[in-house]
Amino acid sequence: MSKITAAEIRRQVERFLPKVLKPSRYIGSEWNAIKKDWDKTEVQMVFAFPDVYEVGMSHLGTRILYHLVNSFPEFLCERVFAPWIDMEKELREKEIPLYALESFQPLKAFDVIGFTLQYEMSFTNILNMLDLAGIPMRAEDRGPEDPWIIAGGPCAYNPEPLVGFIDFFLIGESEEQLPEVLRLVAEQKKNPVLRQDFLKKVAQVQGVYVPDFYHVTYKPDGRIEKIEAEAGVPPVVEKAIVKDLDQAFFPTNPVVPYLEIVHDRMMLEVMRGCSRGCRFCQAGMIYRPVRERSAETLLKQTEELVRSTGYDEIALTSLSSGDYSCIQPVIHNILEQHGAQGVGVSLPSLRVDSFDVELAETVQKARKSGLTFAPEAGSQRLRNVINKGVEEKNLLDAAEAAFQKGWSTIKLYFMVGLPTETQEDIDGIIDLAKKVANLGTKLGRRNIKVTISTSIFVPKSHTPFQWEPQESGASVDLKQRYLRDKLRDRRLNYNYHDVKTSYLEAVFAKGDRRLAPLLEWAVQHGCRFDGWGEQFKYSVWMEGLQELGIDPQFYANRTMDYDDILPWNHIGSGVNPQFLVEEHHRALQEAKTIDCRYADCTGCGVCPSRGVQIELKG
Amino acid sequence: MRLRIAYTKIEDARYIAHLDLTRVFERAIRRAEIKMSYTEGFNPRPKISFGFALAVGTEGEREYVDIDLLHDMDLGEVLARIQEQLPPGIRLLQGRALDPGAKSLMAVLNAATYKIRVPMALPIQSERLQEAVSAWLAREHVTFSRYTKKGPTDKDIRPWIKQLSAEIQGDVILFDLEVEMGNAGSVRPEEVLASLRELENLPLDIEAAHVRRTGVHVTYEGGKSSPI
Repeated sequence: MSKITAAEIRRQVERFLPKVLKPSRYIGSEWNAIKKDWDKTEVQMVFAFPDVYEVGMSHLGTRILYHLVNSFPEFLCERVFAPWIDMEKELREKEIPLYALESFQPLKAFDVIGFTLQYEMSFTNILNMLDLAGIPMRAEDRGPEDPWIIAGGPCAYNPEPLVGFIDFFLIGESEEQLPEVLRLVAEQKKNPVLRQDFLKKVAQVQGVYVPDFYHVTYKPDGRIEKIEAEAGVPPVVEKAIVKDLDQAFFPTNPVVPYLEIVHDRMMLEVMRGCSRGCRFCQAGMIYRPVRERSAETLLKQTEELVRSTGYDEIALTSLSSGDYSCIQPVIHNILEQHGAQGVGVSLPSLRVDSFDVELAETVQKARKSGLTFAPEAGSQRLRNVINKGVEEKNLLDAAEAAFQKGWSTIKLYFMVGLPTETQEDIDGIIDLAKKVANLGTKLGRRNIKVTISTSIFVPKSHTPFQWEPQESGASVDLKQRYLRDKLRDRRLNYNYHDVKTSYLEAVFAKGDRRLAPLLEWAVQHGCRFDGWGEQFKYSVWMEGLQELGIDPQFYANRTMDYDDILPWNHIGSGVNPQFLVEEHHRALQEAKTIDCRYADCTGCGVCPSRGVQIELKG
Repeated sequence: MRLRIAYTKIEDARYIAHLDLTRVFERAIRRAEIKMSYTEGFNPRPKISFGFALAVGTEGEREYVDIDLLHDMDLGEVLARIQEQLPPGIRLLQGRALDPGAKSLMAVLNAATYKIRVPMALPIQSERLQEAVSAWLAREHVTFSRYTKKGPTDKDIRPWIKQLSAEIQGDVILFDLEVEMGNAGSVRPEEVLASLRELENLPLDIEAAHVRRTGVHVTYEGGKSSPI
C-alpha cells in the first residue's frame, strides 16, 4: 500500500465498482463538487464522515465546512465517507487504500483528515477508516509524514474515548476556528517545528483541545482524581462560537448527489441553538445561545440554492424551526417566489406547542409523510421533569386539527428510561396514543395510522441529566415488552430502539479515555457500523469489555455525584456548570424552566461569559 | 412540447444508476430554468422517460430520453441550456420535437449493440477464437444461470442474440454484439461473456471487461434505425 498514485487507485477501483452496491457513492464528480488543483493550494484537507455517503451527505455541517474550506484559494477540501461492507472487502482484498472522492488521492496524501463526531456508535468507523487508509490508528505510532487527524462535532464535547487516536479536537462551531487551524498547518508545512510545539500553537485557537496536554489520574475506586492541564494551555477548553450567524458563511452551491440520500433536498439553516431547555437534550445546551438568520438573508440564499441545485424541495432546518420568529413570512415568501417552479418547503423539526396546522398545510413534506410530534414522555409530571413544555391539550388540539385537515398518519416520539420514570408514565404513553387514535376515529377519518416510537434515554455530557445513570437493559426491555403488548391495535404501530445499542451508546457518551483500548479491540475484531442494527456485534463488544477488564456499568449505570470530576470537566460548552446542577434540582422537583426566548434570562451563563447574545429577528 | 434527445452516458456518468437518472435530468432542467410538464395526481412527477436501462458501469454512446416541456421552445436553445447543467459524461448529441401521438421509447426500441473489450486470461490464437464463437452461435439453446433474489434461475439466452463477432487485438479480444430487447427481457453482455468462457472455454478476464453500448435501435424487417 506504500506509494500508490491517484490514477492507479482509480484504475483499480473501476474494475470492481459496478459490482458493489450503489457505485455512485464512491465517485466524486457530482454536480457542484469542487475539484481543485493540488499543486496550487497550500493545505490539503479531507473531510471524513464516519458513516455511509447517504447519511454523511445529509449532514448540513459537513456541507458547510466542505464549501467553507474550499472558499479559501489556499486551501483544498475533499470528502470521504465510510465505505460500506462490500466496498471495504474489495478495498482490503485488492490492497487499495481508502481514497478521497474528488481526486482519488489516498487519504495518506492529505495534510489533515477531519472527522465529524455525530454519534458515539460511529467511533469504530473512524478507526476502521484510518486502518483502511494505511494510517496508524494511534497518534503515537504516526510520524511527521502522516496527516493530522482531527475531529469535531457534538460528540467532541466528550471526546475522551477517542483520546490517543485523534491529535486534536475542535470544540464548538468551526466556521472561524477551522480556517485558523489550517493557517497554522500551512505555516507548519513551510517551517516545520516539533509536534509538541505545533500542538501548543494550535491549542491557543479558541475551542481547540489537544489531549496530550491534559493528564488524568484516577482514584482507587475508578473515579477520576483530577484532570490537570499543562502550563500554556487553557484549563477548560471553551467552545468556539459564531457571533454573527446572519453574516456567517453558508454554502448556496451545495453538492447535488446522484443517488438518493437520506435528506435529499436543499437545506436552509434558519437559526442555530434552541433555548427550550429540554433537560435531556445535549444539542439544546451546547449550541447556545439562539441566533437567528434574517428573512432577507434566507430569501437570498433560497434563490441561489434553487438556481444552483435544481432541487424541488427546501428544508428549513434548525433544532426547532417552528420557533424561528420569522417562520411564517419566510415560508410564505419562498412559496410565492419559487412555488411556480415546483419548489416546496419542508420543516423537519416541528414541535407540538409551536405547531400550527395551518403552517403544516403549506409544507410539502408533511403532506406526504404524515405529521410528527415529540411529547417525549407520557405524563405531564414526567414532561415537567424533562422540561418539555408540551401539555396533553396542545397535542390533542394539534392532532384534532390535523385530522380535520385531512391527515391520517401521525407519529409520536417518546423516550423510555427517563429519570424518575414510573409505571404511570409508561401507561401515559399508551393512554396518549389511544386518545390520538380515538380522536381520529371520532372525526371519521379512515385508515388512521398512529406510529409510536420509543427511544431509550441515554444520559449525555453537558446536560442537566449528565449525572444520571441509564436504566438497566433488563428493566427497559420489560417496559418495551409491556408497551408492545398494550399497543396492539389496528390503528397503532409501535417501534422501539435496540436496548443493547443504546447501552453501548451510554457507555461511550459518559466514557473516559480508558475506553480507547476497547475501541481499538472492537475494530480489530470486526466491529464497524455499530449504529446499523444488522451490523452491530454486541457479543464481540461484551467479549472485549471482559478481555480488557472494563466494567460497562461503571459508565452507563452509575449515578455520578455533583462533586465527581466528570471525564469532560475540562471541556466548556459556555453553559455554567452550576446552572446544570440547578436544572437537575428543578427536574427532581418537577419544576419547569421557561424558555429565555419568551421570558427572563434563565442564567445559563453563555451570553455574559462569552460576550454573545440571543439574537431574534422577528 | 415533447422532446426526444440522444445523449451519451460515459466516463463517471456510467456509474449513475438508471433509477437515479430521472433526478439527474430533472434537476439539470430545473437549473436551466426550463419548465417541465408534470404528471397529475397526489405526487406530481415531471414527465421524463427513458428507454431500456443501461447496466451500472456500462458506458452508453447513444442513449435516448423523452422529456415533456410546458412550453414550446427553440430546440437548439433547449439543448444548449440543458447541456450546460449536466454532469460530466452526459453529452447531448441530437434532439427532435416529437409528434403528439409518438410512441414511447420503450414501445419502439427493440435492439441494442455493444462493443466489448476483454483482456485474455491466457493468450489464444485467432482461429481458436473464431471456432469458439461459431460453436457457441451454432447452439440452438444456451442455458445461463442467473442469480436473482429468489436464487438461481436458468434461462435460454440464445434467442436474444442477433449477431456476435470477435477479433483479437494485442492481448484483448474485441466483441461486437447485437441483441434483441423487449418487455420480455434481454441478455446482458456479461452473461454472453460468462457463457462463452464456460461453454467454449474461452480464457476471458471478465472482471476487467469494458462494455460499451454503442446504440439502441428500432429494428424492422432486418433494417436498423434510430428512434429520432
